[in-house]
Amino acid sequence: MTEFPENKRRALKILTDPKDSQLLTHLNSCVHCGLCAESCMYYLTTKDERFIPARKVDLVSSIYQRYGTFTGKYLPALVHARELDDETVAEMVDLLFGSCTLCGRCTMHCSIGVDITAVVKAGRAMLAKYGRVPATLQSTVNAALNTGNNMSIPVEELRDTLSWLEDELRDEVNDQHASIPLDQSGVNVLYTLNPREPKFFPLSISAMAKIFYAAKERWTLSTTMYDVTNYAYFSCNREEAATIGQRLYREVQKLEAKRCVLAECGHGSRAFRWEAPNYLQKPFAFDVVTSVELLAGYVREGRLKLDKGKNQETVTLHDPCNLVREGGVIDEQRYVLSQAVSTFVEMTPHGVDNFCCGGGGGQLSMSEYGDRRMTIAEIKADQIRKTGATVVVTPCHNCVDQLIQINNKFKLGVTIKTLAEVVADALILD
Amino acid sequence: MMWYHYLTFIALLICLIGLSFHLIRLVRLGAPVDYSRRRGDVTPAIAYSFVGAMSPTKKESAYLHLPTYAAGLLYHIGTFTSVILLFVYLLEIEVGGIVRWALMGLLTLSTLSGMTILVKRMAVKPLKSLSNPDDYISNFLVTVFQLFTVARLGGAAFAPFYFLSASLLLLYVPIGKLKHALYFFAARYHLGLFYGWRGIWPLRRS
Repeated sequence: MTEFPENKRRALKILTDPKDSQLLTHLNSCVHCGLCAESCMYYLTTKDERFIPARKVDLVSSIYQRYGTFTGKYLPALVHARELDDETVAEMVDLLFGSCTLCGRCTMHCSIGVDITAVVKAGRAMLAKYGRVPATLQSTVNAALNTGNNMSIPVEELRDTLSWLEDELRDEVNDQHASIPLDQSGVNVLYTLNPREPKFFPLSISAMAKIFYAAKERWTLSTTMYDVTNYAYFSCNREEAATIGQRLYREVQKLEAKRCVLAECGHGSRAFRWEAPNYLQKPFAFDVVTSVELLAGYVREGRLKLDKGKNQETVTLHDPCNLVREGGVIDEQRYVLSQAVSTFVEMTPHGVDNFCCGGGGGQLSMSEYGDRRMTIAEIKADQIRKTGATVVVTPCHNCVDQLIQINNKFKLGVTIKTLAEVVADALILD
Repeated sequence: MMWYHYLTFIALLICLIGLSFHLIRLVRLGAPVDYSRRRGDVTPAIAYSFVGAMSPTKKESAYLHLPTYAAGLLYHIGTFTSVILLFVYLLEIEVGGIVRWALMGLLTLSTLSGMTILVKRMAVKPLKSLSNPDDYISNFLVTVFQLFTVARLGGAAFAPFYFLSASLLLLYVPIGKLKHALYFFAARYHLGLFYGWRGIWPLRRS
């Protein structure tokens, strides 16, 4: 393949030089039954055939066929094998970045068992090697790489925000010793943040600080590396994802924390807990848990006392795909809500079958696909409306952002909250 | 043995060599190494991937498309039955009595299922847009093979056509999508491994 330009050679290597049998298996398994169509929000809301998940698989697979198989090389018309040229690349950008939230619903419901998400991610990785990651998504990755957080928040601004949040915490719990500890070594918990929290939703930090106070936890925030997100997971640039993951890994080690607790962020949880050890090619010596699991543990252990009566409104739950379907945190948030709210009602479907909010897969950062994102959100709006709930809880800040936009567009009249906010509202302080 | 027996044996050998190439490549590449801390148990998850997760109550691709699912299931049962019968006839064993009639009934239904699936692929626009010549050829070859299996069960007169259709099918398996006969098992294994590692499968309904 030496005759190809370097970026094309590197892109093709992802398909033709696999590290293990996983991708090879999924590239060879799709039988084009098309039954995945009804599992995809893009197809369900638009009926556009291009959005059928199998078409996305086929797009990547057809390139693999062309360059990696006997049939594709010598009988390309038989399997519609395709050249990796400008036309194919443009289609890949539109379908793999612009019309997939990596929610994994199609994978779980595939008749064969094709990991469609893995194939789409392989296609995105090819585009990353090709230099065709959408500029909007890449700018978010670059912000994290260049400033340490994806919103380029200066350390002074973070410190100021945390300082007034600490003052408010002291007033709220009526204890002048209550604190939001920064850069402490040797604590039990290094807590992370989604940069949306200090930037737009500081009350979720207050909520978590109040919970740590009530649980008498020894915890800290890092001011140099606190960002739980990793948008390079979405761009599928493994080197950049490893760089971002490595920073948080080093911070946990530097501060000698026993546990790294991942803030309410679906993809961030996935990227650090499940993907980062593989990006870095080593197991982590410390515990990595999501704040959802931490909260469930506190409630089970009696470290938090909750009064359901303080949350009287009807509450429903939106399951973030990366946390639930792809991360296995399914029951914990339900247990916490069962202890923290008076009336809880599930969406249909929910749990591992839940629909994405529409903001996953990096869609929130790719403004060029914003109209599509809000078109597919109709499904989530319908789900919420049918519950009759007035509060939607979701343990993911990206989902919060998308749900707020859904709330506005579809005039749902609901309040969107994180799990920590609901728990903090129900807290009984000694 | 007749010439068509030899032809089928040669086709079978080529088919097995072709599939062995795919199998050896999969085995040599191996399963992915996962450095993350395991949350679940992979063995029951892999078992679940092959059994529980295949249940029509668990997959939208089944419960939202019950007629297609039923036709597909019947078609695959017919295919496996026909493959077993091919070995029976290669060994020049005759099938008789009620078993023969039962098999003819089953394979007639599965052949009709195969035809229905082929017509659906040609007629339903989203499915047509997804299809390539390999999809039609694969479906056609398997359906014709089943049809001639019914004919062979009916009597030896169709034997040359039966073995010829079997040979064509066997030669085509390693190069087209029919190799999913092998990759299906690998896909279910990988899916079970992935979801099991993270504690998602075996599924517990929330």
